[in-house]
Amino acid sequence: MRVEIREAIETPDPPQKGPGMTDLGAAFSITRWEGGRSAVYSADGNAPGGRPFLDGIEIQMARPLREQAIDLELGKADLVELGPNELRRAAGGRRIWRSAAVRLLALVFGPQVGDARLREALALSVDRAAIHSVLLQRQGEIAGGLLPQWISGDAFLFSTAADAARARGLVGPLRAPMRALTLSFEDPAWRAVADRIAVNARDAGLMVAAAPANPAADVRLVEVRIASAEPWQALAGLAASFGLAEPPQSGSPEALFAAERRLLADFHVIPLLHLPYVYGVGPRVRGGPGITPLGEWRFETLWLEGARP
Amino acid sequence: MTFGTRLLLVFTAAVVASVGLVEWLVWGTTRDAFERAETQRVNALVAQFQREFARRGAVIVRAVNGIAASDTAVNIAIAPDPARYYGEAAALAASSPLDLLELVAGEGTIISSAEWPARFGYKEEWLAGTTGWKARGAFLRREELPDGVTLALTAVSEAHAGDRKLYVTGGQRLDREFLSSLVLPEGMRVLLYRNLSSAFSPGELIGPTGAAADSAPLVPIVTQALREAREFNRIVGGGAAAETVHALPLASGKELLGVLLIGSSRRELVAIESSLYVTGLLVAIGGILVGIAVAWWATARVTRPVRALAAGAAKVAAGNWGATVQTSSADEIGQLARAFNRMTQELVAQRERLVQAERVAAWRELARRLAHELKNPLFPLQITVENMRRAHDAVPEQFEEVFREGTGTLLAELANLKQIIGRFSDFAKMPAPEMQSVNLNDLASEAMKLFQPQLAQAGIAPRLELDPQLPPVPADPEQIARVLRNLIFNAIDAMPQGGALTVRTAAQNGGARMEVADTGQGLTSEECDRLFTPYYTTKTHGTGLGLAIVQSVISDHKGRIAVESEPGKGTIFRIEMVG
Repeated sequence: MRVEIREAIETPDPPQKGPGMTDLGAAFSITRWEGGRSAVYSADGNAPGGRPFLDGIEIQMARPLREQAIDLELGKADLVELGPNELRRAAGGRRIWRSAAVRLLALVFGPQVGDARLREALALSVDRAAIHSVLLQRQGEIAGGLLPQWISGDAFLFSTAADAARARGLVGPLRAPMRALTLSFEDPAWRAVADRIAVNARDAGLMVAAAPANPAADVRLVEVRIASAEPWQALAGLAASFGLAEPPQSGSPEALFAAERRLLADFHVIPLLHLPYVYGVGPRVRGGPGITPLGEWRFETLWLEGARP
Repeated sequence: MTFGTRLLLVFTAAVVASVGLVEWLVWGTTRDAFERAETQRVNALVAQFQREFARRGAVIVRAVNGIAASDTAVNIAIAPDPARYYGEAAALAASSPLDLLELVAGEGTIISSAEWPARFGYKEEWLAGTTGWKARGAFLRREELPDGVTLALTAVSEAHAGDRKLYVTGGQRLDREFLSSLVLPEGMRVLLYRNLSSAFSPGELIGPTGAAADSAPLVPIVTQALREAREFNRIVGGGAAAETVHALPLASGKELLGVLLIGSSRRELVAIESSLYVTGLLVAIGGILVGIAVAWWATARVTRPVRALAAGAAKVAAGNWGATVQTSSADEIGQLARAFNRMTQELVAQRERLVQAERVAAWRELARRLAHELKNPLFPLQITVENMRRAHDAVPEQFEEVFREGTGTLLAELANLKQIIGRFSDFAKMPAPEMQSVNLNDLASEAMKLFQPQLAQAGIAPRLELDPQLPPVPADPEQIARVLRNLIFNAIDAMPQGGALTVRTAAQNGGARMEVADTGQGLTSEECDRLFTPYYTTKTHGTGLGLAIVQSVISDHKGRIAVESEPGKGTIFRIEMVG
């Protein structure tokens, strides 16, 4: 089975980014690895659950979403990631696998942005609804909190409304140079979102310059995977990802809400959206779905039509 | 200033003036021709710009209308959720000649923007409030972009689907690429100032290769064009960098959005002017040199005979009456030289004749005087001798007494004759003066004292008016004293009825002046003229040599003597001695 992903993973050894590839270890073993370019996994006959149906999996990395969609259409790939635009263009009847909203798209400020007014103003300026409806074609959920609604159950309590007037009031006293921020995004797929944030920020009197892969940027647009459906574990994982203090665990939902609010209180992290993993599935692929609600790959139950039995 | 110098200056001035006049005429004609060509070139470029502007406008209108008429536009207009068309403008712009394209919902909300995709959902207020976009065609507009504001040639079209409407706004930037599409003749450049901010911004003055490097001289032009909203020309810079700049304001309605500057280098004109200047300078220098050479030649040809004539005249003035001038030319100068030579020949001849006549006259006068002087004593001698002969023949007894008396008379008259001959001898043998420092005041006082008795006897009042500051003068005191005695003696003779005799001295130009004035009957002007002629006298007695001797002495002392007299008013003799 040929799989394409947009990430470029240099080493197969953990920790690895991205969904899926760490999940293959139970039934497949690596037979070839070209860092950042491609990887080949072969079926493991001694797998605990028995030998998978697929003989092997070829993974092509660093493949742009648009190219993936084309490869899927042309039959060059069996499983590809779909972005919002590709999802919109996907031909009718195409099989799509979606996870739950397990990716958090958020803005994370660097330590150099010490003025909380500036961070809050940016948080208030972002029109999440427009990004959700237009740029993401209504995929996922608008996020005010770190955890998605399906995990915490109280995500709706976090405000997501934009308030440009209040944002302007916050940054009004600041001098122009202090109102200038650099915004970095790792994945080119998020350029449109970053640009939109810059446009929104301008309405608030902030001057945000978006540029890809800038380690010294004042604020970064990051995507973080939520690795657990258990609320406290998910919150702890997110806090660790953002470099925030791990919240003390407690059993009550109120404590979870309070812990999440504390993490967001100083606006170092601004949650924007919770997004699912979305895959386009080729017509040869049978079985599945090949992903779990958390976006984990479960390819051992898949097989390819017309393949050697 | 000599004649030669004047001639040189006239020649040089004439050459320089001629060269300057020609230079001025050529320069003016060249400049006019260049300015006409310049105007034509600028007008051609302005027309080209306007054609290109109109052509681009037509292209934009056609493209925008095409998009508005497409199924895509209709689909977007009727779509219940236009959000899915967020990226449509970029795709449509990529397949059209438009740099800028926005799809805007009927109520003015941006659905999709090619130039600024992230601006979806924002309102374009200026669209919704206006109608008749199709008739308006292309127009200039400020367009906001992520990286700032730009000037664009824009057109708007509307797509209608039932009661739904979609605005399609598209355009092209007026930027350096637009400018680079203009074909410019050699030596011309085109710049565009985009009036995108309230104050002048140097960065908005662009050329085909980017921001204009030397924008400072153009700032006043842009400012004036924006202020006056009219076309005009202005020359900026100097020397080879000089440039004629034509300013063409670009307006949209009443708003001035830009100024097109068409610069035409004046390097060629400056080069031509420089060449003319150098040529004119060389010609002028050549002319001056030629003028000098011609003037020298003309001077040599014209003034040499004139100088020779002047030298000849100077020789004549110095007494060389026989001086002649060499000439070989047949022109007026030659005629003048020949006339001069004839004149000097005539002068020499006349002088010879005059000297001859004077010599004869002098001899005659001398003879007459001598005869006159000698005749007076001779007559008593003759009478005495005849008396002695008659006494010897007729009265022998008285002869001895007569003889005694007669010989006495004869001796007296012979002494008289001897005295007369001595005077003539003195005049002939005037000695050279023995010069020494002399105070004329002393000589005057002594002379006056000498004649004191005669003056008193003649009833003449003596007066001495002597200058105590009189400087001593070099003179022979004996001869000057003789002069004074002569003049005083003459004055006494001129006042038989008495009168006043004044001797006065005064310092004059480092020398001395001495006057002897009487109050006698005076002299006529004719007498004054002849007064110093030897043997001329106005008196019934005397030899007429006194004043001639006086004049001879004063002349030997390099001095001057003059007489001033009128009948009935006395006479003044004035002697001037050099210091």
